[in-house]
Amino acid sequence: MKLSLSKLLIAGAFALAVPLSAAAKDITLLNVSYDPTRELYTEFNKAFAAHWKAKTGDNVTIKQSHGGAGKQARAVIDGLQADVVTLALAYDIDAIHEKAKLIPKDWQARLPNNSAPYTSTIVLLVRKGNPKQIKDWDDLAKPGVSVITPNPKTSGGARWNYLAAWGYELKRNGGDQKKAQEFVKKIYANVPVLDSGARGSTTTFVERGIGDVFISWENEAFLALKELGPDKFEIVVPSVSILAEPPVTLVDKVADKRKTRAVAQAYLEYLYSDQGQEIAGKHYYRPTNPKYVEKYAKQFPKVNLFKIDDVFGGWQKAQKDHFSDGGTFDQIYTKK
Amino acid sequence: MTFKATQIHGLIAATLIGSGALAFSGNAFANDSSELEALRALVQELDQKIRVLDRKSEIAEEKAVTDKKAAPVIKANSSGFSIESADKKHSLKLRGQLQADARHFFGDDNPDINNEYLLRRVRPRFQGTLFSIFDFDINTDFAPSSAVVQDAYVNARFQPWFQVQGGKFKVPVSLERIQSGNDIRFTERSYVADSIAPNRDVGFQIHGDVLDKKLNYAFGVFDGQFDGQSNGSNRDNTTNGNGKEFAARVFANPFKGDGNALDGLGVGISFTRAHSNDLAVGDSYRSPGQRGFFAYNAATVTDGNKTRISPQAYYYNGPFGVLGEYIRSSTDVSRGARSAKLDNDAWQIAGSWVITGEDNGFRGITPKNDFDLAKGGWGAWEVALRYHQLEIDSDAFEGAAGVRFAGAPNTTTNFGQNTTEKAQSWAAALNWYLNKNVKFQATYEQTNFDSAYANIADREDEKVLFTRFQVAY
Repeated sequence: MKLSLSKLLIAGAFALAVPLSAAAKDITLLNVSYDPTRELYTEFNKAFAAHWKAKTGDNVTIKQSHGGAGKQARAVIDGLQADVVTLALAYDIDAIHEKAKLIPKDWQARLPNNSAPYTSTIVLLVRKGNPKQIKDWDDLAKPGVSVITPNPKTSGGARWNYLAAWGYELKRNGGDQKKAQEFVKKIYANVPVLDSGARGSTTTFVERGIGDVFISWENEAFLALKELGPDKFEIVVPSVSILAEPPVTLVDKVADKRKTRAVAQAYLEYLYSDQGQEIAGKHYYRPTNPKYVEKYAKQFPKVNLFKIDDVFGGWQKAQKDHFSDGGTFDQIYTKK
Repeated sequence: MTFKATQIHGLIAATLIGSGALAFSGNAFANDSSELEALRALVQELDQKIRVLDRKSEIAEEKAVTDKKAAPVIKANSSGFSIESADKKHSLKLRGQLQADARHFFGDDNPDINNEYLLRRVRPRFQGTLFSIFDFDINTDFAPSSAVVQDAYVNARFQPWFQVQGGKFKVPVSLERIQSGNDIRFTERSYVADSIAPNRDVGFQIHGDVLDKKLNYAFGVFDGQFDGQSNGSNRDNTTNGNGKEFAARVFANPFKGDGNALDGLGVGISFTRAHSNDLAVGDSYRSPGQRGFFAYNAATVTDGNKTRISPQAYYYNGPFGVLGEYIRSSTDVSRGARSAKLDNDAWQIAGSWVITGEDNGFRGITPKNDFDLAKGGWGAWEVALRYHQLEIDSDAFEGAAGVRFAGAPNTTTNFGQNTTEKAQSWAAALNWYLNKNVKFQATYEQTNFDSAYANIADREDEKVLFTRFQVAY
C-alpha cells in the first residue's frame, strides 16, 4: 500500500500530538477529616489513586488532615485549603457555608444518603473482663466509674457521645430534659481527662490505660480490639444509641480555585462505589449500599438506634441547645 | 528534679507494699486478705491518678505546640517592631525615624537667618502586608508646624514584575529622592532632588523588577507638582485641569550579581510630562540651608507643557560610592502677551568613602562593629564630598518688570530673593554610624550665587554647618 506524503505528515503530526496532549497530570487534593478516620482514608486514598490513574492516566495524591471535627471545620473556615471535607457531623459542614461561604447551602443534597457514604454509632469500650460491670449508659453515671470521652467543644464524636447519653436518659425517663441534664452531668463528673478529639481519647484509654469505660465511635472500638487484641478490651453494646451520619462534601470555592473540582467530586463519589463501600466496611464503618450492609451485617452488633432529627430536632437545634456557649455542656461541666 | 510516671508508680507501690508487709507481719492472719484488697484498690486508684496527671500534661504540651503554630510572631529588633500571623500572610510593622538637627550659619548679614536647633523629621511609620501581596505604608511627619502624611499607599505585588501602587508616595524621578531619608549622605538633598524633581504626589503607578531584577521600571500618573514640591506641603499643588502628570523611570543594574567590579553600577533615566494652562507657576528654589532664593512672578502662568528629564547613575565598590544625576525642567510659561519655554536645570556629583572599610551602598551602611566602648567597637565612619548646582533659564530674568517671568528682584539687601541665576554648592560630610539604627552626621556646605542682573550684586555666600542626630528603625 502506498502512503501519500500528506498522510504520512498527518500521521506524524498525530503521533507527536497524542503523547503531548496525553502527558499525565499530577494533582494533589487535601481531605480535611475528623479524628479517627486515619486508617480508613489511608487505604481509601490508595485505592482511589489507582482507580483515577487507570481511568484518566493522571496521578492524584491525597493529603490528609485529621483532628476534632469542630477544630477542623474552623481551620477550613480560617483558610485551610481543603478540596474536600469528610467530617463527623453536618453542623460543622454547615458552619463552613455560613461563616465562609465556601460551599452552597444545599451541599448535603448533592450526594446520596444526605452526603453520608457510611454511618456509625456510639458504643462502650471496657477493659477485658469488664471489671466495673458496665452494661449500659446508666452505669457510667455511678460513682467510682471513670469515663473517657473527648471534649464536645472540639470533637464531633464527643457531641455524638453526649447526645447518645442524653437520648438514652430521655427514653428512660419519658422525656424529662432536666433529668437528662442531671444524668449527663453525673457522667461528665466521672470524666478525668477531656481530649480534643476522638483519637486522643482512644490514646488516653487504650495506650495510657486511663479510665474504666470509653464512650467510643464504633469503628474506634473495633480498631482497638483488632490492634491490641480481644484479650485487652470488650465492646459493650448499650441498649440504645444514636445513628451517627458523618457527611462529606466538596469545598467548591477551593476546588474551583485549584481547578480540582472534577477529581475531588470523583473522589467523594468513589466512597459510594463498591470499592469504597468495601473499604468502609473493612474499617468498621457501616456501609450504606444495601449490598454491603448485608455483607457486613454480622460484623456490626444490632443496636437500637435513634436519629438526631427525631430526638433533638436536628443538628442546628442540638448545637444551639447543648454545645454553643451557654448550652447545657457549659452548664454541667466544670474544668478540672 | 522530675520523676517519670513509671518511677513514681514503682516508688508508691514499693512504699505501700513495704508498709503493708510491716503491718502484715504484726497482724493476725484473719485481716490479711481484706487489707491486701484495700491496698490493691489504693494502688490502682493512685496509679490512675498519676496516669491522668501524666496524660493531662501530655495534652497540654500538644496544645502548646499547636497554639504556637497558630500564634502570631512578635519581633522587636533593629529593623523595627513587628507582628506577623502564623501563616505569614499578614503582618504589621511599626517603624520610625527621628532626626534632630542643628544649623549654624557663618558670616551672613541676614538678620532673619538664625542658628537653630530643630526637629527635621519625626516620622512614626506603619507598614504591613495583607494576604501576602497587598503592602500598605502610612508615614506621618510631626516635625513640620502641622503634621503631614508623607506617604499613604497600597502596593499590590501581583508578580515581582507587575505591581500596582496607588496613593501618595515618592514620584519616581530623582535617584537621590528615591533614596531613603535615613540613608542620604548629606543632611539635605541636592538641588536635583530638593529643588527641581517632584517629591511626593498622589497617583498610581505600575512598576516591577524584570530581567532577574536587573531592570526596574515604573510608569505612573500623578496629580502633578511644581518643581521640588510635595502634595500636602505648604506649597500649592499643580492641578492640571483635565491633564495629569505622567512619570516614567527605568533603572538598570546590568551587572548585578556578577561579582565583578561593575556589580555595583546602576544607570537609569526618568521623565515627567504634564500639561496645564493659566496656573500660576509654582516652581521655587531654595539653597541647601533651606533658604528660598527664587520664585516666579505671580502673574507668570503655565502655558502648555511641563517636562522633566533626568539621567542618573550610581556606582558602589567596596567602601567607595559615587552618585550622579542631572535634571532639566522645561516649562511653557506666559505673562501677558509674552510667552516662552524656560529650561531650568540642576546636576550633582557626590562621592563617599567608608573609612572603616564597610561596604558602601545605596541603601546605607551597616557597621561591622557597633559602637561599644567596652568592646572597643567604633561603629562605621564615612567621609563624603559633593558638588551640585542649579541654573535658571536666563530668559526668566529678561524684560521689564511688567513682563519679566521671574519674581521681582529684592535688592534692598545682599541676600534678597529672585536675583540669582545660578547657585553652586560644595559640601563636605562626616558621617558616624554607631550601629544600624543610630547615626551622627555633620555636613558643611558653602554656596555661591551668581546674579542674573548686571547691576545687581551676587547674593551673599551661604555657609552653613549642619549636624544631625538620627535614630531610625
